[in-house]
Amino acid sequence: MLDERPSTSATVKRTTGSSVFNFIQKLGEPRVVGWIAVAFVLIMWEVVVVAAHLNPIYLPRPTHILIALLAMFKTGDLFSDLLATLGRIFGGFAVALITGTLLGIWMATSERVSAIADNFIAALYPLPKVTLIPLLIIWLGTGGPFMLTISALGAIFPIVINTVLGIRQCDSGLILAARDLGASNRQIISMVLLPSAVPSIFAGVRLGIGVSIILVVAAEMVVGKVGLGARLYLAGQVLETEQVFAVLIVLAILGVVVTKIQDLIDVWLNQWRLS
Amino acid sequence: MEADVVAFDCDDVSLTYSAKSGAPVEALQRVSLRINPRRVTAIIGPSGCGKSTLLLIIRGLLAPSAGRVRFVDAQSGAMASAKPRMATVWQGFNLFPWRTVGENVSFGLEVGGMTHSERAGRARRSLAQVDLSGFESKYPRQLSGGMRQRVGLARALVMEPEVLLLDEPFGALDAQTRLVLQEQLARLVEKSGTTAVLVTHSIEEAILLADTILVMTARPGRIAAEIRVDLPRPRTMATTHLNGYSSLFGQIYGLLRDEVVKAMATEMERA
Repeated sequence: MLDERPSTSATVKRTTGSSVFNFIQKLGEPRVVGWIAVAFVLIMWEVVVVAAHLNPIYLPRPTHILIALLAMFKTGDLFSDLLATLGRIFGGFAVALITGTLLGIWMATSERVSAIADNFIAALYPLPKVTLIPLLIIWLGTGGPFMLTISALGAIFPIVINTVLGIRQCDSGLILAARDLGASNRQIISMVLLPSAVPSIFAGVRLGIGVSIILVVAAEMVVGKVGLGARLYLAGQVLETEQVFAVLIVLAILGVVVTKIQDLIDVWLNQWRLS
Repeated sequence: MEADVVAFDCDDVSLTYSAKSGAPVEALQRVSLRINPRRVTAIIGPSGCGKSTLLLIIRGLLAPSAGRVRFVDAQSGAMASAKPRMATVWQGFNLFPWRTVGENVSFGLEVGGMTHSERAGRARRSLAQVDLSGFESKYPRQLSGGMRQRVGLARALVMEPEVLLLDEPFGALDAQTRLVLQEQLARLVEKSGTTAVLVTHSIEEAILLADTILVMTARPGRIAAEIRVDLPRPRTMATTHLNGYSSLFGQIYGLLRDEVVKAMATEMERA
Protein backbone atom coordinates (compact mmCIF):
# COMPACT_ATOMS: atom_id res chain seq x y z
CA MET A 1 0.00 0.00 0.00
CA LEU A 2 2.75 2.39 0.93
CA ASP A 3 4.53 1.79 -2.27
CA GLU A 4 1.50 2.62 -4.35
CA ARG A 5 1.61 6.42 -4.42
CA PRO A 6 5.13 6.97 -5.71
CA SER A 7 4.72 4.26 -8.29
CA THR A 8 1.45 5.82 -9.58
CA SER A 9 2.99 9.25 -10.07
CA ALA A 10 5.90 7.68 -11.84
CA THR A 11 3.49 5.90 -14.21
CA VAL A 12 1.65 9.16 -14.99
CA LYS A 13 4.91 10.94 -15.74
CA ARG A 14 5.99 8.13 -17.98
CA THR A 15 2.74 8.18 -19.98
CA THR A 16 2.83 11.95 -20.62
CA GLY A 17 6.44 11.67 -21.58
CA SER A 18 5.83 8.73 -23.89
CA SER A 19 2.81 10.24 -25.72
CA VAL A 20 5.02 12.87 -27.33
CA PHE A 21 7.64 10.24 -27.89
CA ASN A 22 4.98 7.92 -29.40
CA PHE A 23 3.90 10.65 -31.80
CA ILE A 24 7.44 11.16 -33.06
CA GLN A 25 7.92 7.44 -33.27
CA LYS A 26 4.72 7.10 -35.30
CA LEU A 27 6.02 9.66 -37.79
CA GLY A 28 8.87 7.27 -38.47
CA GLU A 29 6.62 4.30 -39.25
CA PRO A 30 6.90 3.18 -42.89
CA ARG A 31 3.15 3.63 -43.56
CA VAL A 32 3.15 7.16 -42.21
CA VAL A 33 6.36 8.01 -44.06
CA GLY A 34 4.65 6.87 -47.26
CA TRP A 35 1.72 9.23 -46.76
CA ILE A 36 3.95 12.11 -45.75
CA ALA A 37 5.83 11.63 -49.02
CA VAL A 38 2.55 11.84 -50.97
CA ALA A 39 1.56 15.04 -49.16
CA PHE A 40 5.03 16.50 -49.75
CA VAL A 41 4.90 15.85 -53.50
CA LEU A 42 1.41 17.40 -53.77
CA ILE A 43 2.47 20.51 -51.86
CA MET A 44 5.67 20.88 -53.91
CA TRP A 45 3.62 20.44 -57.09
CA GLU A 46 1.25 23.20 -56.03
CA VAL A 47 4.10 25.50 -55.00
CA VAL A 48 6.14 24.96 -58.17
CA VAL A 49 3.15 25.49 -60.49
CA VAL A 50 2.21 28.76 -58.73
CA ALA A 51 5.78 30.02 -58.36
CA ALA A 52 6.86 29.24 -61.93
CA HIS A 53 3.57 30.45 -63.50
CA LEU A 54 3.24 27.17 -65.42
CA ASN A 55 0.50 27.04 -68.03
CA PRO A 56 -2.34 24.94 -66.53
CA ILE A 57 -2.80 23.30 -69.96
CA TYR A 58 0.47 21.48 -69.28
CA LEU A 59 0.32 21.09 -65.54
CA PRO A 60 -2.68 22.29 -63.52
CA ARG A 61 -2.52 22.87 -59.77
CA PRO A 62 -3.60 19.89 -57.56
CA THR A 63 -6.21 22.09 -55.86
CA HIS A 64 -7.71 23.00 -59.23
CA ILE A 65 -7.76 19.34 -60.24
CA LEU A 66 -9.68 18.59 -57.07
CA ILE A 67 -12.13 21.40 -57.79
CA ALA A 68 -12.59 20.11 -61.37
CA LEU A 69 -13.14 16.60 -60.03
CA LEU A 70 -15.83 17.76 -57.58
CA ALA A 71 -17.49 19.89 -60.27
CA MET A 72 -17.63 16.92 -62.65
CA PHE A 73 -19.24 14.79 -59.98
CA LYS A 74 -21.71 17.57 -59.13
CA THR A 75 -23.12 17.65 -62.68
CA GLY A 76 -23.49 13.89 -62.49
CA ASP A 77 -21.58 13.37 -65.75
CA LEU A 78 -18.57 11.71 -64.20
CA PHE A 79 -20.76 9.48 -62.07
CA SER A 80 -22.70 8.22 -65.09
CA ASP A 81 -19.40 7.70 -66.93
CA LEU A 82 -18.11 5.69 -63.98
CA LEU A 83 -21.28 3.59 -63.92
CA ALA A 84 -21.06 2.93 -67.67
CA THR A 85 -17.42 1.83 -67.40
CA LEU A 86 -18.06 -0.33 -64.33
CA GLY A 87 -21.03 -1.94 -66.07
CA ARG A 88 -18.91 -2.82 -69.10
CA ILE A 89 -16.00 -4.14 -67.04
CA PHE A 90 -18.06 -6.28 -64.69
CA GLY A 91 -20.64 -7.29 -67.30
CA GLY A 92 -17.93 -8.68 -69.56
CA PHE A 93 -16.07 -10.06 -66.60
CA ALA A 94 -19.16 -11.97 -65.43
CA VAL A 95 -19.51 -13.50 -68.91
CA ALA A 96 -15.82 -14.45 -68.82
CA LEU A 97 -16.09 -15.94 -65.34
CA ILE A 98 -19.02 -18.19 -66.24
CA THR A 99 -17.88 -19.28 -69.69
CA GLY A 100 -14.22 -19.46 -68.64
CA THR A 101 -14.92 -21.65 -65.63
CA LEU A 102 -17.22 -23.96 -67.61
CA LEU A 103 -14.69 -24.26 -70.44
CA GLY A 104 -11.92 -24.87 -67.90
CA ILE A 105 -13.89 -27.67 -66.21
CA TRP A 106 -14.63 -29.22 -69.59
CA MET A 107 -10.97 -29.04 -70.61
CA ALA A 108 -9.73 -30.45 -67.31
CA THR A 109 -12.10 -33.41 -67.43
CA SER A 110 -11.77 -34.31 -71.12
CA GLU A 111 -8.44 -34.83 -72.82
CA ARG A 112 -10.03 -34.36 -76.25
CA VAL A 113 -11.60 -31.03 -75.42
CA SER A 114 -8.32 -30.00 -73.85
CA ALA A 115 -6.37 -30.93 -77.00
CA ILE A 116 -8.77 -28.94 -79.18
CA ALA A 117 -8.86 -25.85 -76.96
CA ASP A 118 -5.14 -25.82 -76.21
CA ASN A 119 -4.15 -24.78 -79.74
CA PHE A 120 -6.64 -21.93 -79.88
CA ILE A 121 -5.62 -20.68 -76.47
CA ALA A 122 -1.94 -20.92 -77.38
CA ALA A 123 -2.62 -18.71 -80.41
CA LEU A 124 -4.92 -16.17 -78.75
CA TYR A 125 -3.48 -15.86 -75.24
CA PRO A 126 -0.21 -14.08 -76.10
CA LEU A 127 -1.93 -11.80 -78.60
CA PRO A 128 -2.33 -8.28 -77.17
CA LYS A 129 -6.12 -8.04 -76.92
CA VAL A 130 -6.21 -4.33 -77.86
CA THR A 131 -5.23 -5.40 -81.37
CA LEU A 132 -8.62 -7.11 -81.64
CA ILE A 133 -10.51 -3.82 -81.23
CA PRO A 134 -10.64 -2.95 -84.99
CA LEU A 135 -11.85 -6.42 -85.96
CA LEU A 136 -14.44 -6.52 -83.20
CA ILE A 137 -15.76 -3.11 -84.27
CA ILE A 138 -16.19 -4.42 -87.83
CA TRP A 139 -18.08 -7.44 -86.50
CA LEU A 140 -20.05 -5.99 -83.63
CA GLY A 141 -20.20 -2.22 -84.10
CA THR A 142 -19.36 0.04 -81.20
CA GLY A 143 -22.28 -0.57 -78.86
CA GLY A 144 -22.86 -2.74 -75.81
CA PRO A 145 -22.07 -6.12 -77.40
CA PHE A 146 -18.67 -4.84 -78.50
CA MET A 147 -17.83 -3.50 -75.04
CA LEU A 148 -18.94 -6.71 -73.31
CA THR A 149 -16.94 -8.83 -75.76
CA ILE A 150 -13.71 -6.87 -75.38
CA SER A 151 -14.05 -6.92 -71.59
CA ALA A 152 -14.78 -10.67 -71.56
CA LEU A 153 -11.85 -11.36 -73.88
CA GLY A 154 -9.52 -9.69 -71.43
CA ALA A 155 -10.56 -11.83 -68.48
CA ILE A 156 -11.36 -15.20 -70.02
CA PHE A 157 -7.88 -16.55 -70.76
CA PRO A 158 -6.39 -16.34 -67.27
CA ILE A 159 -9.66 -17.73 -65.87
CA VAL A 160 -9.69 -20.74 -68.22
CA ILE A 161 -6.02 -21.51 -67.68
CA ASN A 162 -6.24 -21.24 -63.91
CA THR A 163 -9.44 -23.29 -63.74
CA VAL A 164 -7.76 -26.13 -65.65
CA LEU A 165 -4.71 -25.85 -63.40
CA GLY A 166 -6.78 -25.80 -60.20
CA ILE A 167 -8.85 -28.82 -61.17
CA ARG A 168 -5.83 -30.86 -62.29
CA GLN A 169 -4.16 -30.14 -58.95
CA CYS A 170 -7.13 -31.46 -56.98
CA ASP A 171 -6.04 -34.05 -54.40
CA SER A 172 -6.97 -37.44 -55.89
CA GLY A 173 -7.74 -38.66 -52.36
CA LEU A 174 -10.67 -36.24 -52.19
CA ILE A 175 -12.07 -37.62 -55.45
CA LEU A 176 -11.75 -41.18 -54.13
CA ALA A 177 -13.45 -40.16 -50.88
CA ALA A 178 -16.33 -38.55 -52.79
CA ARG A 179 -16.72 -41.59 -55.02
CA ASP A 180 -16.67 -43.84 -51.95
CA LEU A 181 -19.49 -41.78 -50.44
CA GLY A 182 -21.59 -42.31 -53.56
CA ALA A 183 -21.04 -39.10 -55.53
CA SER A 184 -21.76 -39.21 -59.28
CA ASN A 185 -19.32 -37.75 -61.82
CA ARG A 186 -21.42 -34.61 -62.02
CA GLN A 187 -21.49 -34.28 -58.23
CA ILE A 188 -17.74 -34.78 -58.08
CA ILE A 189 -17.29 -31.89 -60.51
CA SER A 190 -19.60 -29.50 -58.67
CA MET A 191 -18.89 -30.58 -55.09
CA VAL A 192 -15.20 -31.52 -55.19
CA LEU A 193 -13.29 -30.37 -58.27
CA LEU A 194 -14.84 -26.92 -58.52
CA PRO A 195 -14.56 -25.93 -54.84
CA SER A 196 -11.00 -27.24 -54.66
CA ALA A 197 -10.12 -25.13 -57.71
CA VAL A 198 -11.64 -21.92 -56.30
CA PRO A 199 -8.37 -20.43 -55.00
CA SER A 200 -6.71 -21.06 -58.36
CA ILE A 201 -9.71 -19.70 -60.29
CA PHE A 202 -9.58 -16.62 -58.12
CA ALA A 203 -5.91 -16.12 -59.00
CA GLY A 204 -7.08 -16.10 -62.63
CA VAL A 205 -9.82 -13.62 -61.76
CA ARG A 206 -7.20 -11.28 -60.27
CA LEU A 207 -5.19 -11.31 -63.48
CA GLY A 208 -8.26 -11.18 -65.72
CA ILE A 209 -10.03 -8.23 -64.15
CA GLY A 210 -6.93 -6.06 -64.54
CA VAL A 211 -6.85 -6.81 -68.27
CA SER A 212 -10.61 -6.14 -68.53
CA ILE A 213 -10.19 -2.69 -67.00
CA ILE A 214 -7.40 -1.81 -69.46
CA LEU A 215 -9.35 -3.07 -72.46
CA VAL A 216 -12.64 -1.37 -71.60
CA VAL A 217 -10.97 2.01 -70.98
CA ALA A 218 -8.92 1.65 -74.17
CA ALA A 219 -12.00 0.72 -76.20
CA GLU A 220 -13.90 3.68 -74.74
CA MET A 221 -11.07 5.99 -75.75
CA VAL A 222 -11.31 4.74 -79.33
CA VAL A 223 -15.06 4.59 -79.88
CA GLY A 224 -16.94 5.42 -76.68
CA LYS A 225 -19.44 8.23 -76.27
CA VAL A 226 -19.84 7.64 -72.53
CA GLY A 227 -17.52 6.04 -70.02
CA LEU A 228 -14.34 7.10 -68.26
CA GLY A 229 -12.15 6.34 -71.29
CA ALA A 230 -14.36 8.48 -73.55
CA ARG A 231 -14.40 11.30 -70.99
CA LEU A 232 -10.61 11.12 -70.69
CA TYR A 233 -10.06 11.24 -74.43
CA LEU A 234 -12.54 14.08 -74.92
CA ALA A 235 -10.98 16.16 -72.15
CA GLY A 236 -7.56 15.65 -73.76
CA GLN A 237 -8.87 16.71 -77.17
CA VAL A 238 -10.13 20.06 -75.86
CA LEU A 239 -7.07 20.56 -73.62
CA GLU A 240 -9.08 20.39 -70.37
CA THR A 241 -6.00 19.10 -68.54
CA GLU A 242 -7.64 19.44 -65.12
CA GLN A 243 -10.40 17.07 -66.26
CA VAL A 244 -7.82 14.66 -67.67
CA PHE A 245 -6.19 14.47 -64.25
CA ALA A 246 -9.58 14.16 -62.56
CA VAL A 247 -10.48 11.11 -64.66
CA LEU A 248 -7.05 9.59 -64.00
CA ILE A 249 -7.68 9.96 -60.27
CA VAL A 250 -11.03 8.18 -60.59
CA LEU A 251 -9.36 5.36 -62.55
CA ALA A 252 -6.60 5.06 -59.97
CA ILE A 253 -9.13 4.88 -57.13
CA LEU A 254 -11.09 2.27 -59.08
CA GLY A 255 -7.93 0.17 -59.34
CA VAL A 256 -7.21 0.49 -55.62
CA VAL A 257 -10.79 -0.42 -54.65
CA VAL A 258 -10.78 -3.50 -56.93
CA THR A 259 -7.44 -4.63 -55.47
CA LYS A 260 -8.66 -4.16 -51.89
CA ILE A 261 -11.83 -6.15 -52.57
CA GLN A 262 -9.71 -8.94 -54.06
CA ASP A 263 -7.51 -8.93 -50.95
CA LEU A 264 -10.60 -9.34 -48.77
CA ILE A 265 -11.84 -12.24 -50.90
CA ASP A 266 -8.39 -13.83 -50.63
CA VAL A 267 -8.52 -13.65 -46.83
CA TRP A 268 -11.98 -15.20 -46.90
CA LEU A 269 -10.83 -18.02 -49.22
CA ASN A 270 -7.84 -18.72 -47.00
CA GLN A 271 -9.94 -19.42 -43.94
CA TRP A 272 -10.47 -23.07 -44.81
CA ARG A 273 -7.27 -23.73 -46.70
CA LEU A 274 -5.34 -26.51 -44.98
CA SER A 275 -2.06 -25.49 -43.48
CA MET B 1 -32.65 -58.94 -41.48
CA GLU B 2 -30.32 -61.90 -41.94
CA ALA B 3 -30.92 -61.78 -45.67
CA ASP B 4 -28.70 -58.77 -46.12
CA VAL B 5 -25.75 -60.38 -44.37
CA VAL B 6 -23.25 -60.39 -47.16
CA ALA B 7 -19.88 -62.06 -47.27
CA PHE B 8 -17.51 -61.44 -50.05
CA ASP B 9 -14.84 -63.30 -51.87
CA CYS B 10 -11.91 -62.18 -53.92
CA ASP B 11 -11.25 -64.79 -56.58
CA ASP B 12 -7.73 -64.78 -58.01
CA VAL B 13 -7.59 -61.00 -58.07
CA SER B 14 -4.52 -59.71 -59.88
CA LEU B 15 -3.48 -56.20 -60.77
CA THR B 16 -0.78 -55.33 -63.23
CA TYR B 17 -0.07 -51.79 -64.31
CA SER B 18 2.61 -50.26 -66.46
CA ALA B 19 5.21 -48.17 -64.69
CA LYS B 20 6.47 -44.87 -66.12
CA SER B 21 9.27 -46.79 -67.86
CA GLY B 22 6.60 -48.86 -69.62
CA ALA B 23 7.57 -52.08 -67.87
CA PRO B 24 4.63 -53.96 -66.36
CA VAL B 25 4.49 -53.98 -62.56
CA GLU B 26 2.66 -56.80 -60.87
CA ALA B 27 1.06 -55.27 -57.78
CA LEU B 28 -1.25 -58.11 -56.79
CA GLN B 29 -0.87 -61.75 -57.77
CA ARG B 30 -3.89 -64.07 -57.68
CA VAL B 31 -5.19 -62.91 -54.33
CA SER B 32 -8.04 -65.04 -53.05
CA LEU B 33 -9.68 -64.34 -49.75
CA ARG B 34 -13.01 -64.43 -48.00
CA ILE B 35 -14.34 -61.66 -45.82
CA ASN B 36 -16.84 -62.98 -43.30
CA PRO B 37 -19.89 -60.95 -42.32
CA ARG B 38 -20.01 -59.17 -38.96
CA ARG B 39 -16.33 -59.87 -38.46
CA VAL B 40 -13.24 -57.72 -38.60
CA THR B 41 -10.63 -58.88 -41.08
CA ALA B 42 -7.22 -57.27 -40.98
CA ILE B 43 -4.89 -57.29 -43.96
CA ILE B 44 -1.30 -56.79 -42.89
CA GLY B 45 1.81 -56.65 -45.03
CA PRO B 46 5.02 -54.76 -45.77
CA SER B 47 4.72 -51.31 -47.33
CA GLY B 48 4.13 -51.37 -51.07
CA CYS B 49 2.64 -54.88 -51.03
CA GLY B 50 -0.60 -53.67 -52.58
CA LYS B 51 -2.83 -53.96 -49.52
CA SER B 52 -4.37 -50.50 -49.98
CA THR B 53 -4.81 -51.28 -53.68
CA LEU B 54 -6.66 -54.43 -52.72
CA LEU B 55 -9.00 -52.35 -50.58
CA LEU B 56 -9.75 -50.05 -53.56
CA ILE B 57 -10.54 -53.12 -55.66
CA ILE B 58 -12.87 -54.51 -52.97
CA ARG B 59 -14.58 -51.11 -52.81
CA GLY B 60 -15.01 -51.08 -56.58
CA LEU B 61 -12.99 -47.91 -57.07
CA LEU B 62 -10.33 -49.76 -59.06
CA ALA B 63 -10.82 -52.58 -61.57
CA PRO B 64 -8.56 -55.64 -61.22
CA SER B 65 -6.64 -56.82 -64.29
CA ALA B 66 -7.87 -60.33 -63.64
CA GLY B 67 -10.15 -62.08 -61.18
CA ARG B 68 -13.21 -60.64 -59.50
CA VAL B 69 -14.84 -59.68 -56.24
CA ARG B 70 -18.09 -61.52 -55.53
CA PHE B 71 -20.67 -60.61 -52.95
CA VAL B 72 -22.54 -63.62 -51.68
CA ASP B 73 -25.35 -64.30 -49.27
CA ALA B 74 -23.69 -65.60 -46.10
CA GLN B 75 -26.30 -68.36 -45.61
CA SER B 76 -27.12 -69.69 -49.06
CA GLY B 77 -23.82 -68.87 -50.72
CA ALA B 78 -25.76 -67.51 -53.71
CA MET B 79 -24.69 -64.28 -55.40
CA ALA B 80 -26.05 -61.32 -53.47
CA SER B 81 -28.71 -59.32 -55.30
CA ALA B 82 -27.02 -56.02 -54.54
CA LYS B 83 -23.66 -54.77 -53.39
CA PRO B 84 -23.56 -54.05 -49.68
CA ARG B 85 -23.37 -50.44 -48.50
CA MET B 86 -19.69 -49.68 -48.03
CA ALA B 87 -17.78 -46.74 -46.63
CA THR B 88 -14.06 -46.10 -46.32
CA VAL B 89 -11.87 -44.39 -43.74
CA TRP B 90 -8.64 -43.14 -45.34
CA GLN B 91 -5.09 -42.90 -44.09
CA GLY B 92 -4.82 -39.30 -45.30
CA PHE B 93 -8.27 -38.45 -43.82
CA ASN B 94 -9.33 -36.98 -47.21
CA LEU B 95 -11.64 -34.45 -45.58
CA PHE B 96 -12.95 -31.66 -47.79
CA PRO B 97 -11.11 -28.60 -46.44
CA TRP B 98 -13.74 -26.10 -47.64
CA ARG B 99 -16.53 -27.92 -45.82
CA THR B 100 -17.17 -27.70 -42.10
CA VAL B 101 -16.96 -30.83 -39.98
CA GLY B 102 -20.75 -31.18 -40.12
CA GLU B 103 -20.78 -30.70 -43.89
CA ASN B 104 -17.98 -33.24 -44.30
CA VAL B 105 -19.87 -35.84 -42.31
CA SER B 106 -23.08 -35.26 -44.24
CA PHE B 107 -21.42 -35.28 -47.70
CA GLY B 108 -22.53 -38.83 -48.48
CA LEU B 109 -26.08 -38.08 -47.35
CA GLU B 110 -26.13 -34.89 -49.43
CA VAL B 111 -25.12 -36.63 -52.66
CA GLY B 112 -27.73 -39.25 -51.82
CA GLY B 113 -30.38 -36.52 -51.89
CA MET B 114 -31.29 -36.32 -48.20
CA THR B 115 -32.88 -33.09 -46.97
CA HIS B 116 -30.76 -30.57 -45.14
CA SER B 117 -32.42 -30.92 -41.74
CA GLU B 118 -32.40 -34.72 -41.78
CA ARG B 119 -28.72 -34.97 -42.67
CA ALA B 120 -27.75 -32.35 -40.08
CA GLY B 121 -29.41 -34.50 -37.41
CA ARG B 122 -27.69 -37.65 -38.59
CA ALA B 123 -24.32 -35.91 -38.81
CA ARG B 124 -24.74 -34.68 -35.25
CA ARG B 125 -25.52 -38.19 -33.97
CA SER B 126 -22.59 -39.64 -35.88
CA LEU B 127 -20.20 -37.03 -34.49
CA ALA B 128 -21.47 -37.80 -31.00
CA GLN B 129 -20.44 -41.44 -31.56
CA VAL B 130 -16.83 -40.35 -32.00
CA ASP B 131 -17.00 -37.82 -29.13
CA LEU B 132 -16.95 -34.76 -31.39
CA SER B 133 -20.25 -33.17 -30.40
CA GLY B 134 -20.20 -29.41 -30.83
CA PHE B 135 -17.52 -29.39 -33.54
CA GLU B 136 -20.02 -29.28 -36.44
CA SER B 137 -19.15 -25.76 -37.57
CA LYS B 138 -15.36 -26.05 -37.28
CA TYR B 139 -13.20 -26.50 -40.37
CA PRO B 140 -10.86 -29.52 -40.65
CA ARG B 141 -7.77 -27.31 -40.45
CA GLN B 142 -8.86 -26.18 -36.98
CA LEU B 143 -8.66 -29.77 -35.69
CA SER B 144 -5.76 -31.99 -34.63
CA GLY B 145 -4.87 -35.08 -36.66
CA GLY B 146 -6.66 -37.41 -34.28
CA MET B 147 -9.81 -35.28 -34.37
CA ARG B 148 -9.68 -35.14 -38.17
CA GLN B 149 -9.61 -38.90 -38.39
CA ARG B 150 -12.54 -39.15 -35.98
CA VAL B 151 -14.40 -36.89 -38.43
CA GLY B 152 -13.35 -39.31 -41.18
CA LEU B 153 -14.74 -42.17 -39.11
CA ALA B 154 -18.00 -40.31 -38.43
CA ARG B 155 -18.32 -39.54 -42.14
CA ALA B 156 -18.11 -43.28 -42.89
CA LEU B 157 -20.36 -44.39 -40.00
CA VAL B 158 -23.12 -41.94 -40.93
CA MET B 159 -23.60 -43.98 -44.13
CA GLU B 160 -24.59 -46.95 -41.92
CA PRO B 161 -22.23 -49.18 -43.89
CA GLU B 162 -22.69 -52.93 -43.95
CA VAL B 163 -19.00 -53.09 -44.73
CA LEU B 164 -16.57 -50.62 -43.21
CA LEU B 165 -13.23 -50.33 -45.01
CA LEU B 166 -10.32 -48.94 -43.02
CA ASP B 167 -7.21 -48.02 -44.99
CA GLU B 168 -4.42 -47.59 -42.43
CA PRO B 169 -6.77 -45.29 -40.54
CA PHE B 170 -4.25 -44.33 -37.87
CA GLY B 171 -1.13 -44.44 -40.02
CA ALA B 172 -0.75 -40.67 -40.08
CA LEU B 173 -1.20 -40.19 -36.33
CA ASP B 174 1.24 -40.06 -33.45
CA ALA B 175 1.66 -43.18 -31.31
CA GLN B 176 -0.35 -41.99 -28.32
CA THR B 177 -3.33 -40.71 -30.29
CA ARG B 178 -3.21 -43.96 -32.16
CA LEU B 179 -3.60 -46.07 -29.01
CA VAL B 180 -6.64 -44.15 -27.84
CA LEU B 181 -8.31 -44.24 -31.24
CA GLN B 182 -7.63 -47.97 -31.66
CA GLU B 183 -9.55 -48.66 -28.45
CA GLN B 184 -12.33 -46.31 -29.50
CA LEU B 185 -12.61 -47.95 -32.92
CA ALA B 186 -12.58 -51.44 -31.36
CA ARG B 187 -15.56 -50.41 -29.18
CA LEU B 188 -17.46 -48.85 -32.08
CA VAL B 189 -16.98 -51.85 -34.37
CA GLU B 190 -17.95 -54.32 -31.62
CA LYS B 191 -21.08 -52.32 -30.87
CA SER B 192 -22.23 -51.86 -34.47
CA GLY B 193 -21.55 -55.47 -35.47
CA THR B 194 -20.59 -54.32 -38.94
CA THR B 195 -18.29 -56.19 -41.28
CA ALA B 196 -14.93 -54.45 -41.36
CA VAL B 197 -11.78 -54.77 -43.41
CA LEU B 198 -8.73 -53.14 -41.87
CA VAL B 199 -5.57 -52.54 -43.85
CA THR B 200 -2.63 -51.86 -41.56
CA HIS B 201 1.08 -52.30 -41.12
CA SER B 202 0.75 -52.43 -37.33
CA ILE B 203 0.69 -55.93 -35.84
CA GLU B 204 -0.65 -54.54 -32.58
CA GLU B 205 -3.52 -52.78 -34.34
CA ALA B 206 -4.40 -55.92 -36.28
CA ILE B 207 -4.53 -58.06 -33.12
CA LEU B 208 -6.51 -55.47 -31.12
CA LEU B 209 -9.17 -55.08 -33.78
CA ALA B 210 -9.41 -58.19 -35.92
CA ASP B 211 -11.06 -61.60 -35.77
CA THR B 212 -8.98 -62.79 -38.72
CA ILE B 213 -5.61 -61.52 -39.86
CA LEU B 214 -4.45 -62.04 -43.45
CA VAL B 215 -0.70 -61.67 -43.88
CA MET B 216 0.44 -60.50 -47.29
CA THR B 217 3.78 -61.01 -49.00
CA ALA B 218 6.01 -58.31 -50.46
CA ARG B 219 5.21 -57.26 -54.02
CA PRO B 220 3.69 -58.90 -55.93
CA GLY B 221 1.24 -59.17 -53.07
CA ARG B 222 -0.21 -62.58 -52.25
CA ILE B 223 -1.94 -63.89 -49.14
CA ALA B 224 0.74 -65.77 -47.21
CA ALA B 225 -1.27 -66.84 -44.16
CA GLU B 226 -4.63 -66.55 -42.48
CA ILE B 227 -4.54 -66.27 -38.71
CA ARG B 228 -7.53 -66.40 -36.36
CA VAL B 229 -7.53 -64.14 -33.32
CA ASP B 230 -9.49 -65.69 -30.46
CA LEU B 231 -8.56 -63.21 -27.75
CA PRO B 232 -11.51 -62.12 -25.59
CA ARG B 233 -13.38 -58.88 -26.30
CA PRO B 234 -13.55 -56.07 -25.48
CA ARG B 235 -9.89 -55.71 -26.30
CA THR B 236 -7.98 -52.87 -24.75
CA MET B 237 -4.35 -52.14 -23.99
CA ALA B 238 -4.67 -54.75 -21.23
CA THR B 239 -5.07 -57.36 -23.98
CA THR B 240 -1.45 -56.81 -24.94
CA HIS B 241 -0.38 -58.36 -21.62
CA LEU B 242 -2.11 -61.70 -22.33
CA ASN B 243 -0.01 -64.70 -23.23
CA GLY B 244 -2.13 -65.31 -26.33
CA TYR B 245 -1.29 -61.81 -27.50
CA SER B 246 2.48 -62.22 -27.39
CA SER B 247 2.47 -65.59 -29.11
CA LEU B 248 0.24 -64.17 -31.89
CA PHE B 249 2.49 -61.14 -32.19
CA GLY B 250 5.54 -63.40 -32.48
CA GLN B 251 3.86 -65.59 -35.08
CA ILE B 252 2.85 -62.64 -37.27
CA TYR B 253 6.18 -60.91 -36.86
CA GLY B 254 7.92 -64.09 -37.95
CA LEU B 255 5.81 -64.19 -41.10
CA LEU B 256 6.24 -60.51 -41.84
CA ARG B 257 9.91 -60.12 -41.10
CA ASP B 258 11.20 -61.91 -44.18
CA GLU B 259 8.67 -60.09 -46.37
CA VAL B 260 9.67 -56.71 -45.01
CA VAL B 261 13.33 -57.50 -45.68
CA LYS B 262 12.37 -58.55 -49.22
CA ALA B 263 10.39 -55.32 -49.73
CA MET B 264 13.32 -53.25 -48.50
CA ALA B 265 15.68 -55.04 -50.90
CA THR B 266 13.35 -54.31 -53.86
CA GLU B 267 13.14 -50.67 -52.85
CA MET B 268 16.92 -50.41 -52.71
CA GLU B 269 17.24 -51.99 -56.15
CA ARG B 270 14.86 -49.40 -57.56
CA ALA B 271 16.61 -46.49 -55.89
